[in-house]
Amino acid sequence: MTVTEFSDTVVLDPKANVPGVRRPGFGAALRAEWIKFWSVRSTFWSTAMLFVLGAGLTVLVCATSAAWLASSEADESPLSFVTWGLMFAQITAIVLGTLVVTSEYGTGMIRATLAATPRRGSVLAAKAIVLTGTLFVVGTVTAFAGFFGGNFFLDREGIGIALGDEGVLRAMLGSGLYMAGLGLFAAAAGFLIRHTAAALSVVLALVFVVGNMAFLLPGTWGEWTAKLMPGNAGSGVATPVSFNPGLLDPWVGFAVFAGEVALLTVIAWATFRRRDA
Amino acid sequence: MIVARDLTKIYGGKPAVDGITFTVRPGRVTGFLGPNGAGKSTTMRMVLGLDRPTAGSVTVNGRRYSDYAAPLREVGALLEARALHPGRSARDHLRWLAASNGIPRPRVEEVLGLVGLDAVADKRVGKFSLGMGQRLGIAVALLGDPPVVVLDEPVNGLDPEGIRWVRTLARELAGQGRTVFVSSHLMSEMALTADHLVVVGRGKILADCSMSEFIADHAASYVRVASPQRGEVADLLRRQGLDVAVHDEELRVQGLDAAAVGELVGRSGLLLHELTLVQSSLEDAFMTLTADSVEYHATPTAGIPA
Repeated sequence: MTVTEFSDTVVLDPKANVPGVRRPGFGAALRAEWIKFWSVRSTFWSTAMLFVLGAGLTVLVCATSAAWLASSEADESPLSFVTWGLMFAQITAIVLGTLVVTSEYGTGMIRATLAATPRRGSVLAAKAIVLTGTLFVVGTVTAFAGFFGGNFFLDREGIGIALGDEGVLRAMLGSGLYMAGLGLFAAAAGFLIRHTAAALSVVLALVFVVGNMAFLLPGTWGEWTAKLMPGNAGSGVATPVSFNPGLLDPWVGFAVFAGEVALLTVIAWATFRRRDA
Repeated sequence: MIVARDLTKIYGGKPAVDGITFTVRPGRVTGFLGPNGAGKSTTMRMVLGLDRPTAGSVTVNGRRYSDYAAPLREVGALLEARALHPGRSARDHLRWLAASNGIPRPRVEEVLGLVGLDAVADKRVGKFSLGMGQRLGIAVALLGDPPVVVLDEPVNGLDPEGIRWVRTLARELAGQGRTVFVSSHLMSEMALTADHLVVVGRGKILADCSMSEFIADHAASYVRVASPQRGEVADLLRRQGLDVAVHDEELRVQGLDAAAVGELVGRSGLLLHELTLVQSSLEDAFMTLTADSVEYHATPTAGIPA
C-alpha cells in the first residue's frame, strides 16, 4: 500500500484553506439569502404586485369615492380609504413569504442550502430577515405612495388629510410592519407544510376566510376569537381608521399578531432543525 | 477522509442503511456501488448532515459535516437530485453558494470555466439539459476547492464525452491527494473510475476492497471445452492438476488459458469441438453479489397463457 492510504492529512491546493480567509458567520448566510431572494423572478413580481395593488387600488378608490366622501351622505371616514389597497396587497406578501421557503422544497434546493449552511437556525433567521426587511420597506413605500396619490383626489374635494393627522403616520409604518409580519407568518407555515399550494391555501384561508367568518361566531368568545385571528389582529395597525369597529386597538392588535407570528416561527424552527432535508 | 461507523438510518421501521462501517481514504477514487434502493443516497445525505443518522456516526476529516463553519471548503458535493431553482441562472446559483461560505467571487467564474458553462452562465438553469445540470452540479462541488469530493451518480444523464470528462476529473482530483467518493449503480462505470470499492445492498456492506481484489474474487474466468471424448479430455486435464468441472455437455477448465488447453489436448490426439475463454464480466459479478439484495426484481417475462 502507498503512504497516502494511511495518512489522514492531505497536502492540497493552498487556496482551499488560506490562513486569513474569513470564517464565514451569520453575515455570509444573510448575503447568500439576499442573492437567492433577488435572483428569482417571483420576488420581483411579488413586490411589484404589492406596490401596484397597494398603491394603485388606494388611489383608484380615493379617486372614485372622493365626491361621495365629501358629501353629506358619507358614513365612512376618508381616513379608512387612504390605505384601502393594502387589503389586497396582503395576498402578495403571503405569496412571497410562502415561496421563499416552499420553492426550495419543491425544487430540492433546500438540500443545497443546508449543505452550504448546516446551521438551520441561521438559514431560517437569514431568510426571515431578508424577507421581513424587504416587505417592511416595500409595504411602507407602498402605503406612502397610496396615501399621497389618494390624498390628491381627497384634497380636490376639500377633505384632504395631513400626514400629521392622528394615526396616519402610524398606518404608513404599520403597513410595512403588517406586510412583514404576514410574510414571516407565511414563511413559517412554509417551513412546516413544505408544499407551495398547501401552505398558500392554509395561510390565505386562515387570514381571509376564517378570519372574516369568525365575526359570525356568537357571544363574547366568538367576538374575541374574531379579534384575535392573525389577519384581524394585525391589520388594524395598517390603517388610520378601520372600516371594522370590532377590532382591537391598533398597537394592541399588532402585539397579538406579532406574538402569533413569533409563536409559529418558533414552532417552524423547532421542526425545521430536527427534520431530515 | 470519510469515516462511517455503524451508520444506520431507519425510515418508518425499515432500515435504509443498516449499520455500515467504512472508510474513504484520500488520494484515490472510492466507488460506492449498489443497486437502486441500496441506501447509497441516504448514506450520502448523512455524510452531508442533511439526514440525521438513527444510530452511528459519520465524520469528514475527523469532524461532523455540520460542525464546519464553511463546509463547502471542506466537502464538495454533487447531489443526486438537481438541487436547483429552475428560475435562477447558473452564475447566480454559484454566487449565493460562494457568498454563504465566504468563497471569493472570482472562484465562481473559475469553476464556470472549468466545467465549460461560461457561455450559458446567465441562462436560467430550468432550460438546461440534464448534462448541463450535472456539469453545474460538479461546478458546485468544486466551488470551495475542497479536500473531499462527494459525487452522487455523477454520470447520470451525461453523453459519452461527458462521462469520460467526469471519469478523468475524478481521477485527477484523487491524483491531487483529495478524497473522492463516487456513487453509482453501474459496475462498468466504476470499473473504469474507482481504485477502491464499497459495495452495498439493502443497506449493508457486501464488499469493501480494492478494485483489483474485487476483480480477482468475483470475476471468474474459465475455458469452455466441448469434445466428443469428454471423459478422456477431463481425465487428461485433471492429471495436469487443472480444476475441471463438468456442466452438461461442456467442461469448464480453470488454471490455463485456451491456447495451453488446446495444445495439451492436441498433443494427446483427442478431438475438440469447442475451445473458448469465458470471462464473466464485472457486471455479472456485481449482479451475482447483489442479486439477493435487489429491492425490486423484474420477473422474467412468462408466456401469456392461451
